[in-house]
Amino acid sequence: MTAKSFPIPNFRAWRAVVLHRPSPAADGVLRQLERLGIEARQLWPELEPAPPGPDVVFFDADMGYDGQFPWPIGEPPVPLVALVGSEAPGRLEWVLGQGATAHLMKPVQSGGVYSALVVACHGFALRRALDREIGDLRGRLRRRPRVARALAGVMTAHGIDETEAMRRIRAAAMERRQTIEDYCDGLLAGRGARAAGREA
Amino acid sequence: MRSAVPEHPIGLLYSTTGTYAAIGRDALDGALMALDEVNADPAFPFRLQALVENPGGVIDRYHGACESLIRDRGCRHVVGTITSLSRKEVLPIIEKHDALLWYMCPYEGFECSDNVVYTGACPNQHIVPLFHHVLPRYGTRGYLAGSNYIWGWETNRIARELIAACRGEVVAERYLPLGSEDVGRLVAEIADKRPDFVLNNLIGPSSYAFFHAMRKLAEHDPAFSPDRCPIVSCNLTECELALIGDGAVGHLSSAIWFEGVPGEASRDFVARARARLGAGRPLSAFLVGGYQAVRILAEALREAGTPDLGAVRPVVTGRAFDMPAGRVRIDPRTNHAELTPHLGRIAAGGRFEIIASAAGPVAPDPYLVHFDPESLAALVRRSGRRPDGPILKVVT
Repeated sequence: MTAKSFPIPNFRAWRAVVLHRPSPAADGVLRQLERLGIEARQLWPELEPAPPGPDVVFFDADMGYDGQFPWPIGEPPVPLVALVGSEAPGRLEWVLGQGATAHLMKPVQSGGVYSALVVACHGFALRRALDREIGDLRGRLRRRPRVARALAGVMTAHGIDETEAMRRIRAAAMERRQTIEDYCDGLLAGRGARAAGREA
Repeated sequence: MRSAVPEHPIGLLYSTTGTYAAIGRDALDGALMALDEVNADPAFPFRLQALVENPGGVIDRYHGACESLIRDRGCRHVVGTITSLSRKEVLPIIEKHDALLWYMCPYEGFECSDNVVYTGACPNQHIVPLFHHVLPRYGTRGYLAGSNYIWGWETNRIARELIAACRGEVVAERYLPLGSEDVGRLVAEIADKRPDFVLNNLIGPSSYAFFHAMRKLAEHDPAFSPDRCPIVSCNLTECELALIGDGAVGHLSSAIWFEGVPGEASRDFVARARARLGAGRPLSAFLVGGYQAVRILAEALREAGTPDLGAVRPVVTGRAFDMPAGRVRIDPRTNHAELTPHLGRIAAGGRFEIIASAAGPVAPDPYLVHFDPESLAALVRRSGRRPDGPILKVVT
């Protein structure tokens, strides 16, 4: 059916917080979460910073404000689902700024909670993975000048061209199970020059 | 005297014509049987008025039919829908008018509306026990067939997860358009890939044509006889066996009731149904399902003293109901029924022989929250069947 398959999510024993004034909207979410095997609490106005923290947070998009969450704005450590009543652009802007990856329209019916949860978790996991990858790529970009210096050093030391020098560095890094950047740092620090040379 | 008795209009929304008419007719007959029994019983201080709507299996007709029952004809309770497609179609109307839908078919789960009483089996009461029986005995290489809509997709998806948990193999997963009898390609592929079993989530004429073609295959190659490569279904009942004929004999299906289910309530029901419908009429879980939905509704109305949902709901979820399929309880958390799943082998003459039953009622778990795939995997390991395929291969 689909190109990519995701296992059936099981939320058994998860903890959820519904950050909303006591209201039928919050009750509907709480009841549905309970049916999914999730231990859910309603809180307002602030999320307690005390552990154990929740695994997912449903928050009121209508009355919500900066400072409700015990983390930097837009950097939630767990998936966020917005409970949207007003569709005013300013409110939606605020919701997006919080880093929500799914939303539910109020009044909350029995349908919708499960799919919002699945979509929020998937979006959150995807964003985490992308953040990690971007961080990794940025780090490697930052260290590129050092790789270039090491490459030049190996070319000079062994009298070889750039392609061959790069091949040796890559092979030596792989042999040591290091990244090319880490291996080049080592080379510049005087370690492992022989390893790269021995390849010849 | 009768004129002084209050009447409650009850919507009966079943397609008694169209591709799944055989099921719809049993459902309606069961519902009407319960309704007539209630109306004839002085212990009920009211009469139920049956308002029957037949959408003819046409999905676009469900919305209007359901809305008319509730808005124009005053029904607070609608018993009906067979397919998940039609249930999803009427659900927004039911919720909008705060009415109650009584849904009694086995379905794929992952739904939980406060405006539905689910008296049919959800996956932990149909495919999970079915696979607990089939995988250790026949093997873990499954061929998944289905009609191209939500029941087939979702039940096959659960099947994939169960097979993956056992390190088995989905040799292929194929879908036919609703109503299509073009099963040749499926059967050729089964002949080629030689699975250990076939999961059949085809419905109506597709399913009947499939059984016929598989029977022909088995006549040429005994490796596909039902004792070696069974076709297993989660919703095949007596009401469709006559349409398949001998082609289905030996294959397996799961249901919450078969005619041979022990107990006085079941035997009494069979006798009354035979007297009403004729001795030659096969009796199915869908007939029982329609009957039970109306019967539970009537008992709840009597106890609540009003058709209002606020009073009826707590009664429905507050006690057990003695029904032909056994003692039925509706779980107040999920509005789904506790049911006792049975596994039947199709015998000659359009009947099922019960070959396994759960030890007792199984609590509903519509979101498979409490399902532990490892227990199935352990069962398969203990059976000595070695996983011999790749871990999971889905052919799309």
